[in-house]
Amino acid sequence: MNKKGVILGMFVISIIVVIVASMSSSSNETFDVDMTRTHGSISTALGSPILGDPLAPITIVEFGDYQCHQCYNWFHDTKPMITRDYIETGKANLVFVDLAFLGRDSPKAAQATYCADDQNMYWEYHNSLYTFQESKIDNGWASSERLKSFAFNLNLDMTLFDECLDSEKHSKRVQYNSQQARDNGVRGTPGFFIVGPDGQEQLAGAQPFSVFKRILDTMV
Amino acid sequence: MIFEIKTVYSNSKYFLLSVVIFSTMLVGLLILSEYIFLEPYVVSHIPSGSEFGFVLIVMISVLSALVLPMNIFRINILKKSKQKMGSGIFGSIIGAAAGACSCGPIGFAVISTFGSVGATATAFLTNYEIPIRIIAIIILVITYFTTIKSLKSECKVNFQY
Repeated sequence: MNKKGVILGMFVISIIVVIVASMSSSSNETFDVDMTRTHGSISTALGSPILGDPLAPITIVEFGDYQCHQCYNWFHDTKPMITRDYIETGKANLVFVDLAFLGRDSPKAAQATYCADDQNMYWEYHNSLYTFQESKIDNGWASSERLKSFAFNLNLDMTLFDECLDSEKHSKRVQYNSQQARDNGVRGTPGFFIVGPDGQEQLAGAQPFSVFKRILDTMV
Repeated sequence: MIFEIKTVYSNSKYFLLSVVIFSTMLVGLLILSEYIFLEPYVVSHIPSGSEFGFVLIVMISVLSALVLPMNIFRINILKKSKQKMGSGIFGSIIGAAAGACSCGPIGFAVISTFGSVGATATAFLTNYEIPIRIIAIIILVITYFTTIKSLKSECKVNFQY
């Protein structure tokens, strides 16, 4: 009788363990995002959080790859002026959407940004990647270890971050974003859509500030 | 050296060919490397840190425009071998290919079409853009001097007739 009781108890406990494990694994795959979020023709639901005032009349949607050197150039040469003149003044906001195609480390780097987003540090992590980008693709600067070290330097909870990155929790999110780029005719990085109240304009490449200014000023 | 250059480029056909090669290569490579944008406005832009890449593109265009017409002259006028022409074209092509395949539309098309093989090739051409362009320049310079040397002897032989 005792033996049967022990076996039955172990059986019940193992069922409970399986149920709890499956519940926790399925909760890993849920995102706290607004799936209806679109900007012009682009679904930005699984893209970055909005940088700047969400109610700004213009949205700049940037499609980029963390290993792309032209994205690095745009980040350092043009983005600071757009941030100063349009984002910080509430005239425009910016959303980053991944087009991770350049190398095997590109999707992993994009996933890492969403692991940082889970801890509300998306933009800080995004900025780290473009600050410490090295010019060579897949040379190890965006390996899992380095991605974790960037997170460590930002004081993120490393247990959560490692678990997120190692489980590839956000891989489908990155795939969805890359598909959005293809669906919208983006054929390289960086690619931009400037979405205003009366329509949207597509820009290809790391274009200088003067081009953005001309378009943005006509939309404001 | 001046005599050989004058001999080739005094012929307006070769001078025009040189101008066409120079302008096509320069504008084409500057567009591919995102120093010039055509849409929505025509605008040129040299990002900080990319000045050396710009200079290498100008050098490749100048050397290609100098070397290729001289070799066409050798083949057409002097009926000589096409070997040096081949190395001139090779230098121009590898100089043009380096860096053209990075994150732009060509790289995207290559990776989309050829998958991981395309990605590896693109990564190689991007990672070694500067050394490849320098090698292309060395090939073109060597071709230039060997072509001048050949023209010197071949023209002498021709003028004796």
